[in-house]
Amino acid sequence: MASSFPPGRPSGSRPGYYPPTTANPTPNPSLASSLPGAMQNLQIGRPPPASQLPPFLSGTPAAVSGGSRPGPPPEALPSRPQFQQPPVISNGPRFPTPASSREPLTSSISTQGSRVLPGSPSASSQANDMVPPTIYTSSFSAPASGIPMAPPSMVSGPSQLHSLMGAPPSQHLMGGRPSQNLMGGRPSQPLMGGPPSQPLMGGPPSQPLMGGAPSQPLMGVPPSQPVMGGPPSQPLMGGSPSQPLTGGPSSQLMMGVPPSQPLMGVPPSQPLMGGPSSQPYMGPPPMHQYSGLRQPLPTSGAAPPFGSPPAWQQQQPRPGVAPISSMVQAPPQMFGAPPSLLTQSMPPVPPVMGNSPLAGHHSSTPSKIDPDQIPRPMSSSSVIVFETRQGNQVNNPPPATSDFVVKDTGNCSPRLIRCTMNQIPCSGDLLSTSSMPLALLVQPLAIPNPAEEPIQVVDFGEIGPIRCSRCKGYINPFMKFVEQGKRFICNLCGHSNETPRDYFINLGPDGRRRDADERPELCRGTVEFVATKEYMVRDPMPAVFFFLVDVSMNAIRTGATAAACSAISQAIADLPEGPRTMAGIATFDSAIHFYNLKRALQQPLMLVVPDIQDVYTPLHTDLIVPVGECRQHLEQLLESIPSMFENNRVADSAFGAAIKAAFLALKPTGGKLLVFQSVLPSIGTGSLSSREAEGRTNVSSGEKEAHKLLQPADMTLKTMAIEFAEYQVCVDIFITTQAFVDIASVSVVPRTTGGQVYYYYPFSALSDTAKLYNDLRWNISRPQGFEAVMRVRCSQGLQVQEYSGNFCKRIPTDIDLPGIDCDKAIMVSFKHDDKFQEGTECAFQCALLYTTIYGQRRIRVSNLSLPCTSMLGNLFRSADLDSQFACFLRQAATGIPTSPLSQVREQIMNLCVNILHSYRKFCATVSSAGQLILPESLKLLPIYTLALCKSTGLRNDGRLDERSYWASHVASLSVSFAIPWVYPRMISIHDLTSKENNGSILSSTLPLSSEHLNDDGIYLLENGEDCLFFIGNMVNAEILQQIFGVTSVDGLPTQFVLQQYENTFSKILNDVVNEIRRQRCSFLRMRLCRKGDPSGQYARMMLFLSNMVDDKAPGGLSYVEFLVHVHRQIQTKMA
Amino acid sequence: MAEMAGVAPATAAAAPDPDGFDGVRMTWNAWPRSKIEASKCVIPVAASIAPIRSFPDLVVLPYSPLRCKSPCSAVLNPFCRVDFPSKIWICPFCFSRNHFPQHYAAISETNVPGELYPQCSTVEYAGPPLVSGGGQSAAPMAPTPPPPIFLFILDTCVIEEELGFVKSAMRRAIGLLPENALVGLITYGTQVYLHELGFSDLSKLYVFRGTKDISKEQILDQLGLSAAGRSPAPGFPKGGMPQANGLHPAASVNRFLLPASDCEYTLNALLDELQTDQWPVEAGNRARRCTGVALSVAAGLLGACLPGTGARIIALVGGPCTEGPGMIVSKDLSEPVRSHKDLDKDAAPHYHKAVKFYDNLSKQLVNQGHVLDLFASALDQVGIAEMKVAIERTGGLVVLAESFGHPVFKDSFKRIFESGEQSLGLSFNGTHEIYCSKEIKIQGIIGPCTSLEKKGALCSDTVIGQGNTTAWKICGLDRSTCLTVFFDISPSERSNQSGIPNPQLYIQFLTNYQNPEGEIRLRVTTITRRWVEGSANTAELVDGFDQETAAVVLARYVTFKMEMEEEFDAMRYLDRSLIRICSRFGDYQKDDPNSFIINPNFSIFPQFIFNLRRSQFVQVFNNSPDETAYFRILLNRESIANSVVMIQPSLISYSFNAPPSPTLLDVASIAPDRILLLDAYFSIVIFHGTTIAQWRNMGYQNQPEHQAFALLLQAPHDDAQMIISDRFPVARLVVCDQHGSQARFLLAKLNPSATYNSAHDVAPGSDIIFTDDVSLQVFCEHLQRLAVQS
Repeated sequence: MASSFPPGRPSGSRPGYYPPTTANPTPNPSLASSLPGAMQNLQIGRPPPASQLPPFLSGTPAAVSGGSRPGPPPEALPSRPQFQQPPVISNGPRFPTPASSREPLTSSISTQGSRVLPGSPSASSQANDMVPPTIYTSSFSAPASGIPMAPPSMVSGPSQLHSLMGAPPSQHLMGGRPSQNLMGGRPSQPLMGGPPSQPLMGGPPSQPLMGGAPSQPLMGVPPSQPVMGGPPSQPLMGGSPSQPLTGGPSSQLMMGVPPSQPLMGVPPSQPLMGGPSSQPYMGPPPMHQYSGLRQPLPTSGAAPPFGSPPAWQQQQPRPGVAPISSMVQAPPQMFGAPPSLLTQSMPPVPPVMGNSPLAGHHSSTPSKIDPDQIPRPMSSSSVIVFETRQGNQVNNPPPATSDFVVKDTGNCSPRLIRCTMNQIPCSGDLLSTSSMPLALLVQPLAIPNPAEEPIQVVDFGEIGPIRCSRCKGYINPFMKFVEQGKRFICNLCGHSNETPRDYFINLGPDGRRRDADERPELCRGTVEFVATKEYMVRDPMPAVFFFLVDVSMNAIRTGATAAACSAISQAIADLPEGPRTMAGIATFDSAIHFYNLKRALQQPLMLVVPDIQDVYTPLHTDLIVPVGECRQHLEQLLESIPSMFENNRVADSAFGAAIKAAFLALKPTGGKLLVFQSVLPSIGTGSLSSREAEGRTNVSSGEKEAHKLLQPADMTLKTMAIEFAEYQVCVDIFITTQAFVDIASVSVVPRTTGGQVYYYYPFSALSDTAKLYNDLRWNISRPQGFEAVMRVRCSQGLQVQEYSGNFCKRIPTDIDLPGIDCDKAIMVSFKHDDKFQEGTECAFQCALLYTTIYGQRRIRVSNLSLPCTSMLGNLFRSADLDSQFACFLRQAATGIPTSPLSQVREQIMNLCVNILHSYRKFCATVSSAGQLILPESLKLLPIYTLALCKSTGLRNDGRLDERSYWASHVASLSVSFAIPWVYPRMISIHDLTSKENNGSILSSTLPLSSEHLNDDGIYLLENGEDCLFFIGNMVNAEILQQIFGVTSVDGLPTQFVLQQYENTFSKILNDVVNEIRRQRCSFLRMRLCRKGDPSGQYARMMLFLSNMVDDKAPGGLSYVEFLVHVHRQIQTKMA
Repeated sequence: MAEMAGVAPATAAAAPDPDGFDGVRMTWNAWPRSKIEASKCVIPVAASIAPIRSFPDLVVLPYSPLRCKSPCSAVLNPFCRVDFPSKIWICPFCFSRNHFPQHYAAISETNVPGELYPQCSTVEYAGPPLVSGGGQSAAPMAPTPPPPIFLFILDTCVIEEELGFVKSAMRRAIGLLPENALVGLITYGTQVYLHELGFSDLSKLYVFRGTKDISKEQILDQLGLSAAGRSPAPGFPKGGMPQANGLHPAASVNRFLLPASDCEYTLNALLDELQTDQWPVEAGNRARRCTGVALSVAAGLLGACLPGTGARIIALVGGPCTEGPGMIVSKDLSEPVRSHKDLDKDAAPHYHKAVKFYDNLSKQLVNQGHVLDLFASALDQVGIAEMKVAIERTGGLVVLAESFGHPVFKDSFKRIFESGEQSLGLSFNGTHEIYCSKEIKIQGIIGPCTSLEKKGALCSDTVIGQGNTTAWKICGLDRSTCLTVFFDISPSERSNQSGIPNPQLYIQFLTNYQNPEGEIRLRVTTITRRWVEGSANTAELVDGFDQETAAVVLARYVTFKMEMEEEFDAMRYLDRSLIRICSRFGDYQKDDPNSFIINPNFSIFPQFIFNLRRSQFVQVFNNSPDETAYFRILLNRESIANSVVMIQPSLISYSFNAPPSPTLLDVASIAPDRILLLDAYFSIVIFHGTTIAQWRNMGYQNQPEHQAFALLLQAPHDDAQMIISDRFPVARLVVCDQHGSQARFLLAKLNPSATYNSAHDVAPGSDIIFTDDVSLQVFCEHLQRLAVQS
């Protein structure tokens, strides 16, 4: 520890701090100010309040000291300052920056980590003790944030987790990157104790409130101290905060590095050392910082702390006073179990704990990991401007979920292509050592930010785009022109090509072509070439939309048909007129009904295809006609379809035959087939059986085979889908059902044809109609392309290993995309077939040949050139959490149908553990066994991994269809939607009017923990698809009235439609929801979950609670437990 | 002819009907008693019967017939011996004694029921319980008869213009349909579209692919009619299960078949929007037309109707079937439609498959009791040769025209919907049974019917046409429908031993059918003829010879053999038969041709044979297989009088010098100042001599002073119209001038007494025929010579 400290702290702290400091300062102050009022302790965490800090420090320290030992704190402060300050600063700053720029999460976490450490120290002996065991998020040298977990400490219970930031810091130091924050021990500590749980409860909430306010962590600690009473927490707060504060930069530094140490040290040392040790550790301060930074982040705290002091204050109060009460209450709310669990989990840890004597000591007292101090995602609302290359250097792109504006300076926008690591390992060995995946997530038509420069279209006329004669790579900014420009060398294959005469121009003095800056293809990462005849096998196809609507008895009775018809009717109104946009429609039950929409007819003509074993299309022409010509008929028809089939008693659905028939109608042109399906396809080609029921009966005989039910029932649909793809028919399926429809089998079609599945279950005509319409509208009006072919090329040394996504692959190198739209992402994984030289760059080029909706044939070429490195540290520093997680996600989706769930979860956890292990083993210089060290860049990996394991797709209790849908949704999910999909965003609604959000409409997010749910609160949880409103049973009637138009909780409807009432509250809520919709490009399915609802909504409540990732759930660990688990795994590996 | 036509109705009551008093005409009205004698007669013993020919004096009895005990089952008739006191009647066929039932108790010599009146050899029963077999177990008839069904099948693989003609024909037909008639519509081209007329929300149709052979069960299943179709309950048109598979509450065939009054508007709207087939036709290819599947679908749909419902499938076809089952030629235009030569050489790749398909179709239709009518309008063949089996077995109508705009089609099509005097009397669901004296066996029937395979003692071992049965199904029949029954004479031991051989033979024809009004009727015709004992009484035989009937029966028999037997040499057979019959019945001295004289009853027979040899029935190589099939179908189903015209056309001459008069069917009849009217049944030719033509061209007929000329010009047209209006299918009217190109229609039928070889003999102003065919005169000389040869 000690050793690590010195080195670690300085370096680590510095890097991390730099940027943050500035940012932090302001926020912190505010926080501090607020804090003081509420909880000084909390504030302590913050670096910013140098000024404040002092007060806090003084105050807090005192408090701490009072509680634990005042003495130490001060010392800690001073001493920490040096160390910690850097960390703190880094943390603070970082957070702020991140918060502002991206997600506060990472930064916050890191900071927290560091803080944690400090915290523990600050906690003084007692507090420290508690703290020490806690987890440290170590800010890694690079961006890596280490969460030092002191598993042992955990075990010990009291000592539980002494996660020491220290180690991480050192790494940080190593990395040079300041950002390293140490989550460190203290979080663990808080967790540990029975109290810890409380602390968690109390702490976290408060902390969140505090925002940056590490105080919460502190709180957490305190709780442990709770024994101590308020004091401990305060002490922590005070101490740590103060330290950070005082320490300012230095302390932060301390934090960063030290944290781990502190933790480690602290627990033991603190106890031993008493105040001093802790101080030196910084532990406490880091803690504070952590808590401050991180907590805020996760809870929303982060943002609030900085951004919104008020929040803080509010929160603080709670922490301070409430904490305890809440603490007490919390446990029960939490599930009660969690705490106990924690404690239980702790027990195992004890061995580790052993390491930290302190912990042990405190074990008696509550020693825990402070949940508030562990890394959590943060939301940020400020816009980052990102230049893809600066001074010919590649920067790590901002997080995918953040708001950023890209300036294309050679590399393409990260929206289009995002690599799992922004530096490429020189060798395959290095890559495998890192355990990280090497893959691109390509979203070729991603929607740019409006502020970004549009992608330029380049027309080379007859000759077509310049390409390498060997590898056929397209001209790009990284092709090197030599011999006065007469030749150019391909950056992909290294071939030397002759420059076409028309394209020749002399090189300038800088060795670049003189026109390099004028020609988009030579200076932009992404351009679109106009395709010549050479790229067409036929004239570009028109935009064809064919709608296929289920009119079987169930569909009619549930209102699904009417909903689909009205959705179509409205949606087609938005289709562009003109001869190039065509539409057609058919309905089906046990037969298929086509409609002749020719304008000359007085009314549409219905053509029934009754042979569903061997289908055909009933007309050669007139089934699909230009929208402009058939609009009237179409509308008339859509209006009459529901009534026409009103008395339909056919319960069967010939889905397979229907899509086949529709395909035959589309065959000459290709196009989009939009299917509205409501029941299990029961007859005709490709009919399916009710496997779910069969599965249920078979479960007893063999659970092992359960996953087979997630595989397609047979090859019929797959074979059909491949044929569809061949003729450029893209199928989207809207499933509006109340029963099993075997999505596992059905989804094969969209997946193979570049479409997607929409799932409305259980379908409600009242509340889902609007979403259906919006989904459909977005589906047909979003930017998209047809009859596309995509290929990714890369520099020699790498080769494409696999493509994954919704497409059809007929030849190894290309993928066929009958339809591709702005929401679809394709993952491309790579493997080494050679080594790169250090200092060279590895280029990736994605070429998408497609037809626009206006019938132009285009080639969109996106280039990404990344430096190669042989340093593992660099890999971790440049790791991209979002895309790596997206890879996890897809891997999980792939695993679902092929392996038992438990295996899949284990696999995913192993992925996470392996990466962290690699980092721990090779990059973390300081290593104490008790520390969980996380790379800064991946510090959120554990929480996301946990969330993934608890997600619908991997939960044991999910329905088959839900799981299949989950898997199919994930298959094409873009990076930016991947995280919310498993780690939803939760915001509080009841206080909307009182919050200020730095100008952004959305308020900060809350951690996904049920302790944040209050009985008098309303919360909104959204994952980009569903939006759940949690309504406590003691919600203010006035708020209910304003938002929902009902006066009591009992008056809430089961089917919910969000309405706007004439009041500010409602308006704001609508604004919020609309903003989310905008962000997610999704209308969201709104559902109400009432706490304490008698019967019907119990399932929904469970659904809501199942999203509380942090909680301990029947089938999964709590976040803290998970960290402990991960830590133990790593330790096992290390040993 | 004109006169005859005019006179016939007036004299019908008094003079014997040209088709025989009972609508029965026999080749021999006196029958040789032994098989040997019969074979010596050369011309088979056969009867041509018109089962439901209308005649004015028909007695309709409002009760059920009285039948002999099983297994005879013959119906009480005027030839029964009745023992009034004991209330017993003796069946002339089996000699069984039957007691009159209770309700005949009042019978006495002065009070006999209608069926026993001597002049009522033909009566019709309209009694409620009707039985086809012997049993009396018939269920009571439904109170209201099921309405007739007309299921139209329109070919849309035609040019716009043709489609326009079809539409207007359809519109007119729809207007003529009886209000209660159920109507269905199928249109087809590359695919088959079955219109659900009962769907009110919008036009709805079911689509079937043209390439796939679908079974009746599949069709019903796919239409959601399976349960309804299986409903066994008779007499309840809308019976059956409430719904088949839940498809529609009223899942019955009534979705597709609506009363004409209800769907007239819908149909007209549909026709308005009906387009030619939109599937692309590649260059060098024929349109893809799936007539076979369309007929399958139609038959399948009707399968959902209750058994016993009379239904017609009326197919309007504009070209050959080129796709799916029943295709007769491939899509590739480089492959010509099969010719007789191809059929002879077995070089028609699709022929046998198609025939088999239509044969199965006919079985299904017969089973259901439904009729297939075919209206083919195309310049090329449409496959009547293949479809013939389905048409003929079901008693369907067939009309072959060049275009849907041609009067032959238009007027014929219209006629089937006309009612009243002009009505064809289209009836449904006929079954025909024959009972006869024991010495007589039935070989079979040639004509529009199908064997019901009711075997019995009356069946002969040798079979001609639909044999091996004593009962036949005639799904569709009308007033002119005519069957040819071939008899075999095989005197049984027992009848010889019975002592006094009965000098008379008896035959009873029973026809059970549903008349146009939907009522079920049973018509019973009982006839008697004399036996001719031994071989000496040739004169009796000669007296009983009906040469017209003989010629027609021979023609039917020969064409039947031509179709059935590959090696059959019709010419040789006809020649030999003629020679043999002349040898047998002529008066001559051996080897002296000049001494040859023959009884007037035989006098025109050689001429008939001469013309038959030259006719399209025997000379197939100038015709397509479709035409041949068409002609033969009509030959087989028309009355003797009409059939004779087909074989030997009639020729009437109009001139200033004489009233219109029949004239010799000879090229010598042509004169410049004459107008000739040729009735060749299928076509009617008005032929203007050169002078007449010149006058006409100069417009004399328009001048008041030449009104006579105008009348002369008009007279043949009037007569032609009279013939045409009476005929189904409507004959094709050709108006031509001497030496005009169309004159070939006349010249082809005339006896080439003057050819380019004999030009010097020709009277001035007459004509010659460019042919090497022998003339009638030469033919007769040869006949005489050969007949007298020993």
